[in-house]
Amino acid sequence: SSSITELLGALCDSSLSGVSWKRRALGGLSREGFCRALKRCAYGVLLSKLFQDGTKGSASGPSATANTPPRNKVLMICFDLRVSGCREEAERLEEQLERLPEGESSGLKEVDAVLELLVHLAGSSPPPPTSF
Amino acid sequence: MASAANTNLNAVRETMDVLLEISRLLNTGLDMESLSICVRLCEQGINPEALSAVIKELRKASESLKASENCTN
Repeated sequence: SSSITELLGALCDSSLSGVSWKRRALGGLSREGFCRALKRCAYGVLLSKLFQDGTKGSASGPSATANTPPRNKVLMICFDLRVSGCREEAERLEEQLERLPEGESSGLKEVDAVLELLVHLAGSSPPPPTSF
Repeated sequence: MASAANTNLNAVRETMDVLLEISRLLNTGLDMESLSICVRLCEQGINPEALSAVIKELRKASESLKASENCTN
């Protein structure tokens, strides 16, 4: 298993896939330099969230869904999909959620944390183009 | 012993396939490589909300880089 430092480095690398560096190197911007800047940015966000977590209770109070289990949050998204007329997507999502093993049977230690991450990232990327 | 390890490996593979499909249905923009990295970061105890903020920031940075590339073309 890798350390958090190595994994964050790998995440920065993967976010730079598809960027051409040949001409950029001529302009003084190297992949290594940009990757270092990305890592600084990633640690900055992580640390800012760490401090926010410490003050959350006293400042704004927990949000209504803060303690909702991630599986229920996905079911809430399914409901929203149905309401907006995307019945097929809602059914596929419910189907996959039923297939997702819980706890140790998943082979992962933090399957719910991963599901929580997916909920936070939901809709952060444009949907794939529909074929006619 | 080896059989137990194989069983666990199969369970991980199956779980990862389901997580990738859920990720695709939710339009998270994660591919299998970045999802695997995220799973390992969550296993290391990184808060998922903080990790999602990191991913969004990294996307912004790389998209601005790609946009500047298009401008110079």
